Amino acid sequence: MNLVPCTVFSNQEVSRGNFLITLKVPRAFAKPDPGQFVHLRVSHEAEPLLRRPYSLEGFVDRAGIRAVRIYFSVVGRGSRILATQPKGRRLDLIGPLGVGFAPRQRRMPILVAGGRGVAPLLFLSRRLAERKRPYVFLFGARSRQDLYGVREIRGARLHLATDDGSVGFHGSVFELLKREWSEGNYTPQGAEIFTCGPHGLLHEVASFARERGARCEASLEGPMACAVGACRGCPVPLLPGADSGRYPAMCLEGPVMDATIVDWSRLP
Amino acid sequence: MKKPSLAVTIGSLSLRNPVLVASGIIGYGREYERLVALDRIGGIVTKTVTLRARAGNPPPRVYETASGMLNSIGIENPGLEGFLEIKAPLLRDLPCAVIVSIEGEDVNEFCELTRGVDGSGVAHAIEVNISCPNVGPHGLRYSTDAGMAREVMGAIRPLTRLPLIAKLTPNVTRIGEIAEACEDCGADAISLVNTVIGMAIDSRTRKPILGTVLGGLSGPAIKPLALAKTWEVVQAVDIPVVGMGGIARPTDAIEFLLLGARAIQVGTAMFADPTLPEACVDGITSYLDQSGASSIDEIVGSLEIPEGRGVIRAGCAPRPETRARGGRAS
Repeated sequence: MNLVPCTVFSNQEVSRGNFLITLKVPRAFAKPDPGQFVHLRVSHEAEPLLRRPYSLEGFVDRAGIRAVRIYFSVVGRGSRILATQPKGRRLDLIGPLGVGFAPRQRRMPILVAGGRGVAPLLFLSRRLAERKRPYVFLFGARSRQDLYGVREIRGARLHLATDDGSVGFHGSVFELLKREWSEGNYTPQGAEIFTCGPHGLLHEVASFARERGARCEASLEGPMACAVGACRGCPVPLLPGADSGRYPAMCLEGPVMDATIVDWSRLP
Repeated sequence: MKKPSLAVTIGSLSLRNPVLVASGIIGYGREYERLVALDRIGGIVTKTVTLRARAGNPPPRVYETASGMLNSIGIENPGLEGFLEIKAPLLRDLPCAVIVSIEGEDVNEFCELTRGVDGSGVAHAIEVNISCPNVGPHGLRYSTDAGMAREVMGAIRPLTRLPLIAKLTPNVTRIGEIAEACEDCGADAISLVNTVIGMAIDSRTRKPILGTVLGGLSGPAIKPLALAKTWEVVQAVDIPVVGMGGIARPTDAIEFLLLGARAIQVGTAMFADPTLPEACVDGITSYLDQSGASSIDEIVGSLEIPEGRGVIRAGCAPRPETRARGGRAS
């Protein structure tokens, strides 16, 4: 983890309100794991005051150039400013931060993505494909144009879902997970789930995994101030029995955490 | 030209320069050691230690506001025992002064914490947090009432030879009286301001945003308020004052020094810019250079205020003994 300068290499709106920004980082920037994040200053103005934590969509490392890729939606002040940053603009970021996904050997990884939550899972899928590991990728979004990155997914058994039925299964990606799990005859010893997306989806997926005793890692999202474990501003509530009366910091012990011990009802 | 000296003393505490990092910002130093040049700043104030471990408040604990941040962390910390066992060893070899922040729920707890921190051997000074807004009625009670502040400071003074810095809340009408009470009871310095009580609302859900409803506001939004409160305290006491509240640029730090603060603490803005403490050191150095000053004492309290102006009248005429002393550097 370091504070490093970065330069906007490209910043494009890939679908309405959704952007992919590529930020060149110094060669000394440590190679991140899928699921790790960077704490980005979206401008050098005094406003907004705080940095924004962004999970990485990917990491570029070729011909001596290193860059991080962030897929983000315009949802507030920070992301609105970030969307306007042109090629060549210098910003800075702290990273790579936090704990990423940790797939186990000899278990089938089942990736469950909802909307823009696909970002860290695309990063994970590339890592799995590089290692020639078979995996399942279930991706749901509101509509066809929100299925970002779907053409790049390699080596996976891929199933899509849309809320409007414009492509794939007409409904929630959670339904796809239930179907996949039963049709694939998976067991907790043979498969594990990696998920990222809206709070409601993560809660459902986590409960599903918990009921079956399956391993399930989720990438969490929330506001952070320091992002290095100092301020304790990003507590993750855990279920009774798992918490021993403490709140792990999302920035330090997450953002990827065991979804089955998170108390989703107390996580805003 | 000779490089100006930035060295300052707070009671018996010698600092290489007046730039400190505020409590609750930098943990116990190690969290930020790769991002902040600890060997270039004056020191750090640790996360507040309470007698028993605290899990802190439920989420959400932070919320960004216009030029500010609301927090309701709730002093998550491992308690005195955990501090001595886990955190104190981390502080031992930090290349800057270590000020340990403590907060008790009653006078006895403050005493026990003072003894424990004194015995740890890692503290160069103790900041007595009698002003946290996030731990129920206790914290605020102590520094909104001069009598209670007196009780705490008086009780812990005999227990340690370490410099005691009383940290005050701005959420009071007459902060000068509380500062005076702390001075009378042996405080070596006053630090202020802690956060300002604040609130944020989600009109969509018709609910408060913070889990605790109320929180503490910090960041650039509170700087004018912090300057005014610091000014009031500087006039009320003879002991050194450590100013903080909304420092986001080196100029902000200089403003507190001009006002009479002997040292400053950087807080919330450091989350955005971890190089801010170092930048403040550089900025103060340049300011001294440009002013032709050879030491920081020449600028502390050098604010020019027209005779009779800037006297705080909290709803009544100032008491006869209220003196416009400014922050004397000696």
